[in-house]
Amino acid sequence: MIPALRLIREDGVSDRYGLAGDEVLAARAGEGRSPATLRLYTYRSHAALVGRFQTVEHELHLDYCRSQGIAVNRRPTGGGAIIMGEQQLGVALCIPGQRDATYGNARSLMSRFSAGLVSALQHYGIGAAFTRKNDLEVGGRKIAGLGIHRTKSGGILFHASLLVDLDVPLMLRVLNTPFEKISDKEIRNVSDRITTLNREHGSAVEMDAVREVLADGFRSAWGAEIESGDFSAGELTAIDALIHDRYATTEWLFRQSKVTDADGFARVKSAGGLLGARVATAGKQLKAVYLEGDFFSSSGAIAALEGSLRWHSTAGPEIRSTLEAVYARYAADLASVPIEALQEVILRAIAAAAEDADASDPYGCFVEPGREEVAVAAAVGSHPKSNIQYPQSSGGRQEEVAVAVAVGRKG
Amino acid sequence: MSDSDSYDLPQDRFYHPRDHTWSQVREADGSQVRIGMDAMQLDNLGELAYIQLQPPGTVVKAGDSIGTLEAAKMTAEIFAPVSGTIELVNDSVLTQPLLVNQQPYGEGWLLQLTPSDWTADSAALIGGADIEAWAVAEEARFKAEFDASA
Repeated sequence: MIPALRLIREDGVSDRYGLAGDEVLAARAGEGRSPATLRLYTYRSHAALVGRFQTVEHELHLDYCRSQGIAVNRRPTGGGAIIMGEQQLGVALCIPGQRDATYGNARSLMSRFSAGLVSALQHYGIGAAFTRKNDLEVGGRKIAGLGIHRTKSGGILFHASLLVDLDVPLMLRVLNTPFEKISDKEIRNVSDRITTLNREHGSAVEMDAVREVLADGFRSAWGAEIESGDFSAGELTAIDALIHDRYATTEWLFRQSKVTDADGFARVKSAGGLLGARVATAGKQLKAVYLEGDFFSSSGAIAALEGSLRWHSTAGPEIRSTLEAVYARYAADLASVPIEALQEVILRAIAAAAEDADASDPYGCFVEPGREEVAVAAAVGSHPKSNIQYPQSSGGRQEEVAVAVAVGRKG
Repeated sequence: MSDSDSYDLPQDRFYHPRDHTWSQVREADGSQVRIGMDAMQLDNLGELAYIQLQPPGTVVKAGDSIGTLEAAKMTAEIFAPVSGTIELVNDSVLTQPLLVNQQPYGEGWLLQLTPSDWTADSAALIGGADIEAWAVAEEARFKAEFDASA
């Protein structure tokens, strides 16, 4: 299907440049103006990226980001907020697609895109599997976030963020989570739900080596020749224009969805012990569920339960069906957690969230490691809901070019 | 693909042959056309999490983007099946995108516009007795795309 892929390697890119680059490559691939490209890159530490439709104030601690020089931006792909930096590898596969192609192959495309990552992880002896909406998991713990964006031209952007390593305390400070404090317990809680390549491999691996293994993984999964390359002058010009028009604007960063974010908490007593559930919802969808209590179960089983309910309908029958599927996989691990009690506590938490739908400070989509970006202290504007100041479009194209090149691209 | 080989495609409206939006004339004089997404496409997209639509007053040409969506697997554009001026946006689907999945031909409509050339634009859409044969062909195309990328 794709005979050859251009491979672009980059490190330390800015948020604007990183995001605009992916979108330009996909759009131009759809137009037949750019070759199919695999971009393997890192952002400058650190950057927080929200999903396309998320409300940035709900997902991130903006004041903390500002105080630490952590860039904030919005991806073209969906899903939850993520933190990116030099230890999270951005993977962007940009292919032509077709303007008249259906969405019908989206699911199989995601599976095939994931195959390149799965193949690479196998190289390190790590067995990963694609689950639900945007997760690649190892033993129920998320190791990569995935997303697809189809551009107007029909070009397809497959984006993934592979966690080679992760600063969990930093992530907890950046993302708006239900955890009340940054303690060892909370850090362990997160570590039970997400993992990294280094952790699974048992030792630190070099980012450059990971990149080459990934390129091999995509070569194997796609049967495509890999040819090293770089952006063309035309692509860089288009990236600059898109930074100016979108990724450097407060309009893009602070856009609002009409879907209401909310959060809720409930606790029930069950035969297995006290069971608590915290949920973050977006309209009628569960963004995230966090389970707690004094029951006995494996962390992998609890992570699998939570992962299976990310970006899931809030409807009771559908939740029950999903719970039953996880219980079938982890029957022994979940023996002390009655499914009826679990369903009840989740539904109560959802009901509490519905009552709290007008809450002014809902949680974000917390356990969603993902992408990245970097702060760019250029022309700044402030948002009325935050003290944070972010770049906004200045209209100065040449100035923006300088920012993109000098700040966005290392070296 | 759906487990079922048949989709609900009411014959009281027209379908875009590739984008799988539907268009339905709301007034006898053809002055208003309502637009939505068909069941076949929604089955492939999965549950919609978010929708953003262009506001009333926006002038669009057939093929222009009228909004964006986030579904189970991807974010994507929604394309106008006909040219015209957007008059109404269904606020209910903006706040409850799942309505589109649940009632694609009823409460889950997207927007309403005043067509600029309904006669010409509708000639490129699928309607009436042609719907069944088109649906069969589209199902086959969906399956071929799925198999090719699997």
